[in-house]
Amino acid sequence: MGTLIVVLILAAIVAAIIRSIVKAHKRGEHPGCGGDCGSCGHCSHSV
Amino acid sequence: MGIRIALAGNPNCGKTTLFNALTGSNQFVGNWPGVTVEYKEGKFKGDKEVTIVDLPGIYSLSPYTLEEVVSRNYLIDEKPEAIINVIDGTNLERNLYLTTQIVELGIPVVIAINMMDVVEKNGDKINTKKLSEEIGVPAIEISALKNRGLKDIVEAAVKAAKEAKPQSPKHRFEGSVEHALAHIEELCLHSIDDENVQRWYSIKLFERDEKIQEKLGLSEDVISHIEKDIVSCEKELDDDSESIITGERYNYIGTIINGCVKKASRGMTTSDKIDQVVTNRFLALPIFAVVMFLVYFVSVTTVGTWATDWANDGVFGDGWHLFAIGSSQYNDAAEEFTANQLIVDGYDLYVEENGSEPTGDFEYPVEDEETAAVEYETATLVDYEAAAAYVEANEEPDPADYGIWIPGVPVFVEAGLDAINCNDVVKGLILDGIVAGVGAVLGFVPQMLVLFIFLAFLEACGYMARVAFIMDRIFRKFGLSGKSFIPMLIGTGCGVPGIMASRTIENDRDRKMTIMTTTFIPCGAKLPFIAMVAGAIFGGAAWVAPTAYFLGIFSIIVSGIMLKKTKLFAGDPAPFVMELPAYHWPTASNVLRSMWERGWSFIKKAGTIILLSTIIVWFATFFGFVDGAFTMLEEDQIDHSILAGLGKCLAWIFLPLGFGDWEATVASITGLVAKENIVGTLAIIYGASGDVYETMRAAFTDASGMAFLAFNLLCAPCFAAMGAIKREMNNTKWFWTAIGYQCGFAWVIGLIIYQVGRVFTGEGFGIGTIFGIAAICCLVYGIIRKDKYNK
Repeated sequence: MGTLIVVLILAAIVAAIIRSIVKAHKRGEHPGCGGDCGSCGHCSHSV
Repeated sequence: MGIRIALAGNPNCGKTTLFNALTGSNQFVGNWPGVTVEYKEGKFKGDKEVTIVDLPGIYSLSPYTLEEVVSRNYLIDEKPEAIINVIDGTNLERNLYLTTQIVELGIPVVIAINMMDVVEKNGDKINTKKLSEEIGVPAIEISALKNRGLKDIVEAAVKAAKEAKPQSPKHRFEGSVEHALAHIEELCLHSIDDENVQRWYSIKLFERDEKIQEKLGLSEDVISHIEKDIVSCEKELDDDSESIITGERYNYIGTIINGCVKKASRGMTTSDKIDQVVTNRFLALPIFAVVMFLVYFVSVTTVGTWATDWANDGVFGDGWHLFAIGSSQYNDAAEEFTANQLIVDGYDLYVEENGSEPTGDFEYPVEDEETAAVEYETATLVDYEAAAAYVEANEEPDPADYGIWIPGVPVFVEAGLDAINCNDVVKGLILDGIVAGVGAVLGFVPQMLVLFIFLAFLEACGYMARVAFIMDRIFRKFGLSGKSFIPMLIGTGCGVPGIMASRTIENDRDRKMTIMTTTFIPCGAKLPFIAMVAGAIFGGAAWVAPTAYFLGIFSIIVSGIMLKKTKLFAGDPAPFVMELPAYHWPTASNVLRSMWERGWSFIKKAGTIILLSTIIVWFATFFGFVDGAFTMLEEDQIDHSILAGLGKCLAWIFLPLGFGDWEATVASITGLVAKENIVGTLAIIYGASGDVYETMRAAFTDASGMAFLAFNLLCAPCFAAMGAIKREMNNTKWFWTAIGYQCGFAWVIGLIIYQVGRVFTGEGFGIGTIFGIAAICCLVYGIIRKDKYNK
């Protein structure tokens, strides 16, 4: 039971990460950056 | 109905400081559509109906840079209700050039004379009332940094917006110019209602502004008619139209300055005195070298190492004492216990190996924690008896007995997983994969924060601007320009904005060359890797981190010299004009904010892309084929893993560089996703067989370790940076040329370092050393050969 809970939590975390990367990619961002325009100044984000 | 107020002004005039002060946290930051220029909008704190738009810093409304085009398109097309023109009170002459253009737009303008605190400190005087009369718009003194005059400026702007009566500009050009402008207005602009806008367009058409010609949809006939008027005026005034307009504006500004500004007589400013030393022809470079050495020395070796040791050994290790209370006593007790235990173990080992007890002195092995080297020490029988008595009487010291002991994350997580009877495979994934991998990367956060503080300080105080100026003098001797160095300075934080900053380089060849070489400078992501190599292979030596930085600069200069002599990149260096801002002591909040923003970006990356990578690396490390069956592997079986199989296919490439094993190969490959991954991957792979640093020390020699470091610093950057290269090159062939050049150059440098370095580190002269020397000769030839394309 404990293993199942841990696996489910892990799966949820991984799914959330993949989702955020895909959403960022669709916005024109790159997964390597934190998406923080203020600290970057030059990037390919578009409004 | 809301009011939109645009903030317009030169770069470094304090616009953003004013914007932040007026809007607080009620900001939205993004990009102007379709371009990579930052867009900022916020609600005024005192009145949510008022929206402030922070336009990019510009020197004029010409069509030459992206920032200028974005700003003027916004002002003409969106027509905000008012403009606050922020000008630097300490540099009115340059700032008023933009003002003379903004007041012609037909939008109500209010001038904010910023930095009045500095003006007063300098003893200068500005007759604001007269300035306002001369230009024809209200002018208000403010100090955005000291929160002075902010309410007044917004009130004035809101009042101007509500009155909706833009002032007519007072400035008039020379007679023949006015005549030409009138003709142009009559010819093609009479349909525009606003007379002020008519005039602005006519001036732009007089300057032959192609973007305005396109915007107005002028026919060829009209354009050629206008051209006649322009040519006639140019003949009369013996100058080109743009220069005529520029000259007249500056004449007008000159009369304003003479009438309104009184400068206190003073000698050299503090900035000038500092620059006499810092940009001195002979001292500039050594000073720069010392500064960067100190930055990396303190970040990686002293303060950074202390903090990272705590993070790696404490937070992501066994644990640590709160506030270090009891740490010293525990360490002493543990050392004493270990020393006695080693003698007892050594005695037992002797008995096991020889089948009998020693009759006199005996030797026992002691392993060095830093270098993993095994040395032998001698103990007497008396020493053994004392040690045996000690070990029997005392248990191994428990750190919790000496102070408040906080277990490290792995201990805590393992205890939790054991408590819920978690399966071993899942436990292995979490502990040996995620915690080991991500923990290894996060362990370097303290060093990164220290580095970011230094870089933020150097940027904010104004020194980094001088570095570009210093490098220009050197670069120019080799046909390069200091303009190419600015992206590299930006690249010390992250390679992506560094690559994108190459857009400021107008010369296409120089721009491509800059894109190709920018990532040679170690970015923030490479710092954990540099620190790991320095700590694991070189025992924490202070010279490793600065050497990595200067290797990057050396690579940029050498690449630039060699590439400039090829047909693809030949050409004169671009002219380089830049503003050196006055030195000033940065505010702690600005420096800390910059440090935190970059650090938080790094931590978020660790929690996303690196976490995913560690899961994949762990799976590929601990699963493989043994005797034909796919199974989970024991620690001594990871040579049969999926990752080992992949690595072995490519490891031969790195044999000449001294690290032709699968572990180093796969670490380099995972570094393409994110450079921090090299640390995470090595932590998982080497951690499987014991202590990471010890295993790494045993896997590399000094020469091969340096070659491994150099190769990964110089080869193709991470996917994010590669994506930026692809976009900026806008050409698949050039993209692969850039990546190919970076990997090839990195390989050659790695070859030289290993094959020649091994001679000096005692590994001996090999056949590869001949190739290493040949590579040096080729590089030297590439540098000194005659340049047949530049005369």
